[in-house]
Amino acid sequence: VTTKYINICWLIILILLPIGQILADEYATRRQQMIAEIEDDVRRTASYINTTSFSKQVMRAMNSIPRHEFVNRSLRSNAYENRPLPIGHGQTISQPYIVALMTDLLQPEPDHRVLEIGTGSGYQAAILSALVKQVYTIEIIEALGKSSKRLFSRLGYDNIETDITDGYNGWPQQAPFDSIIVTAAISHIPPPLVRQLKNGGRMIIPVGTRFQTQHLTLVEKDDQGRVSTRQVLPVVFVPFTGGH
Amino acid sequence: VRLHQPALTPPLLSIFILSASALAYEILLLRLFSIIHWHHFASMIISIALLGYGISGSLITLFRDRLLPHYQQVFIANALLFGLSSLVCFIIVQHFPFNSLEILWDSSQWFQLLLSYLLLTLPFFFVANAVALSLMRFSERIPLLYGIDLIGAGLGVLLMVILLQNFSLNNVLRLLAVCGISAGLFSLRGLKQGQAQLNLALIVMCLIIVILAPYRWTDLRLSPYQGLSQALSVKGTTLLQSHSSAIARTDVVQSKQIPFRHAPGLSLSSPAGPPEQLAVFRDGDQMTTIDIVSSPTVLEYYDYMSTALPYKLHPSPQNVLILASTTGALVLQADKFEAQQIDVVEPDLHMSNLITDEFADYIGWSKLQHKVDIHNITSRGFAASAGLYDLVIMGPPSASSGGSAGVHAVAVNYDYTVEALQSYLQLLKPNGLLSLTLWTSTPARANIKLLATVVSAMKNIGIDQPGQHIAWIRSWNTATLLIKNSVLTATDIIAVRQFSASRGFDLAWLPDINPDEANRYSILQNPVFYQAAKALLQESDDSFIDNHLFRLQPASDNKPFFNFYFKGSSLNDLLSMPGQTGLSLIGVGYPTLLITLAQALAAALLLILGPLVFIRFNQKRKAVSRCRIIVYFMGIGLAYLFIELAFIQKFTLILSQPLYAVAVTLCAFLIFSGLGSLYIQHRMKTASETTLSNLLLGSVIGITLISIIYVLLLPQISQMLMALPEPARLSSAFILAAPLAFVMGMPFALGLTSLQQSSPELIPWAWGINGCASVLSAILAVLLAIEIGFNGVLISAAVLYIIAWFSWPHERFANQGSGQ
Repeated sequence: VTTKYINICWLIILILLPIGQILADEYATRRQQMIAEIEDDVRRTASYINTTSFSKQVMRAMNSIPRHEFVNRSLRSNAYENRPLPIGHGQTISQPYIVALMTDLLQPEPDHRVLEIGTGSGYQAAILSALVKQVYTIEIIEALGKSSKRLFSRLGYDNIETDITDGYNGWPQQAPFDSIIVTAAISHIPPPLVRQLKNGGRMIIPVGTRFQTQHLTLVEKDDQGRVSTRQVLPVVFVPFTGGH
Repeated sequence: VRLHQPALTPPLLSIFILSASALAYEILLLRLFSIIHWHHFASMIISIALLGYGISGSLITLFRDRLLPHYQQVFIANALLFGLSSLVCFIIVQHFPFNSLEILWDSSQWFQLLLSYLLLTLPFFFVANAVALSLMRFSERIPLLYGIDLIGAGLGVLLMVILLQNFSLNNVLRLLAVCGISAGLFSLRGLKQGQAQLNLALIVMCLIIVILAPYRWTDLRLSPYQGLSQALSVKGTTLLQSHSSAIARTDVVQSKQIPFRHAPGLSLSSPAGPPEQLAVFRDGDQMTTIDIVSSPTVLEYYDYMSTALPYKLHPSPQNVLILASTTGALVLQADKFEAQQIDVVEPDLHMSNLITDEFADYIGWSKLQHKVDIHNITSRGFAASAGLYDLVIMGPPSASSGGSAGVHAVAVNYDYTVEALQSYLQLLKPNGLLSLTLWTSTPARANIKLLATVVSAMKNIGIDQPGQHIAWIRSWNTATLLIKNSVLTATDIIAVRQFSASRGFDLAWLPDINPDEANRYSILQNPVFYQAAKALLQESDDSFIDNHLFRLQPASDNKPFFNFYFKGSSLNDLLSMPGQTGLSLIGVGYPTLLITLAQALAAALLLILGPLVFIRFNQKRKAVSRCRIIVYFMGIGLAYLFIELAFIQKFTLILSQPLYAVAVTLCAFLIFSGLGSLYIQHRMKTASETTLSNLLLGSVIGITLISIIYVLLLPQISQMLMALPEPARLSSAFILAAPLAFVMGMPFALGLTSLQQSSPELIPWAWGINGCASVLSAILAVLLAIEIGFNGVLISAAVLYIIAWFSWPHERFANQGSGQ
């Protein structure tokens, strides 16, 4: 009887294995399509973002991170559409084009240490983790912070450190940072974050609603520590929603 | 049909209660959905739901023969169903996970929207059934019934304002359901004993259901994307207070672990941010904050905001006027810069009570109160009777999570019109300063429109070279426009430069500005602020505004749409932008209005023309031309609401409180129109067909003449009345509305009376047409006002009444129609 059950288990495993492989292939195909769409969007918005392509490293990271792991199961089939998706708690996972643009604007290097304010789904931190040495990410919604932490551990992103605390004060123990990304809505740029940005560092802040990024504000700190801001993508950009 | 019925008296009290409850319910739904979603979607949902009147008219036209023999039973059933559905439908709809922000992305949102429409249509459908059947059953007393319907609705508005001021939204919802069900109680007379007992049992059962329904079912479920929902999802956040009034719901939230810190436009060179704050949300979204002032040093950040600019030119002012202060940030700033007397204008009493009473200790009110006077009135109302000031300050509006999506595009705003700015400028002492701060947007629109409006206002009061009086600076997300009553001196200009340079703010305009100064710290792709200022102030080049992609012409009291930027001639340019950029730039407010109109038009066509198909086959007798009936009832339906809505706007200025304007206008118009209808009933005792015709002609002439007089004289009358005490203004508005409303109550009653003589079977159809017209009218009035102003809307209404008069569906035409 025991042998019979073992055989049945083997049979089930044998059936499930190809299904898992098929699904993995399916997601990889969709990811490829998403990359093609992002590249297409970059070309169409070239005059607004002053570039016709994002760095190869950024696009490679976008192509390697399984976005479907960062959305609710019910939305997995939509995970690779070039649009924001709800993730609960009134938060969204940003649209892939905006994630790629923000990452590209940070000009990440392998030895960089990056601070993220607003972990959300964890997708942006995961993309950065593939490009830089260490990512520090802060979330204020406990449930999101905990689920992201679990996800990072499960997917093996061991260069991401997560904290559930007040992002306004940054992460002084780990400061200064080469770049900072703020994904929360803010009325002003927190002075502690400006202080924790290295000279020559960059901070990026998206401005708009949860489902429509209006523009990005790029904060630059020069070698003398002087700070200025620059508006990137100075028009609203919502890509086509059809054809997915 | 009626011959088989026992002699009945019309259930006037029941109709009165039902009409009052229905209008009150409409206002309540608008409040509820404005909190759950944003206001523009609330308007859209409720507009469509009112099509319940149209659906009812069509169905009763088709099934009148089956319904009328059971009139009393059907009436009671509809009253009960109204009461029940008003509660149940709301509970179901608010459980839909509809997200208006996702509507561009996710087509399933449209399905949920459609379901919401259908469910919310039901309560209005049941009320309309009860009234329309009564009009048919007692067709010889149509003006009486219609008059009672209108007066009931008018008092329903008053009832709603009183209820909203004194009870929670949750309780008001139940109370209205109880009112609706109770209306059935007053129509039991005349039923056989067994039937009456059965109905009584049903009524009691429904009342028990409504009263005992668990409160958690009716608790408001805010969209998770509203600011309040997001704030409450943060660990350690507590709701300190939730207060609901007829004006707004206000929630005060504290987050001890992760405090709120709101400081629009704070300089990047600020050594510190704001102190911990309490957040105040209006209708679940628009957020302002109350500083927790633990020591004076925590307010240092006020020196690093662009709103500090006027104090650099006029230190320690003798007196300061702060317009639309919300929760005291600008008061604390004025105090920090040693203002000796501070007048604050805040229309909402509850908002001002937050800082003077409930949370006075947080802000340190005891140290401020000797120098601060708060006036609960609108900025315009206060400006009409105020003294002179060193500084007049208007800060950035509260932060809205939907604001940047253009949700407020079609909202009227009298604070930023040419006339408003003229009145603020006239409050300044000879060297006084007016400071206006707005959030910046992408692309820059509101700030440039504000500059154009200011320039227009300055020229109107005789300032020929506005460029010599203006300084304009901007941070990365706010811009402060400073206007001096006299020419800016060299000392003033130095002060502006020093302040901007030390804070990292860019100059957008100074009389001697160097173009290099315009784009140094917060770098835009093009220095659009400077370009606009140069065109308007240096070159007096109107073509900059005329040729702009967006509508940036100054807003006026006649077209008070400051946040509306869409220009029809730019549509092609906008649509040719990459992706859906152009659509997004238009914002969601205006397209929502257009989509609502399209939906309402499609539904109205179906509801009006649909029954006609069946009537044509079922009726042997042809009566009045259907076309005339459509034109007549559509015309007066559109025109009535055109006038009503135009007067709500006109009275907003006189009454200095939008809530009063809505309440007084609706109440006065409905009650006096009801009296007009009752007057027709009175005249009918002796009236011939010719008398009715003359009455209609008289009423149309009256409406036209009074409308023209008001278009010409209301601005002057408003100016005179604005300075009067509140009771005088309220009663003046009531008196102003009375004559026009009285004559406006006649055409509908006359139309139905005439129809009763020629084609009584079409009475519910005409009632439905009128219902559809009302829905279309509310949307069309706003669209028209954007283009031709509210005066144009009034004139259009008069024209529609004249067209209606030409197509009056009376018997002379019935004879002609029989040959068709």
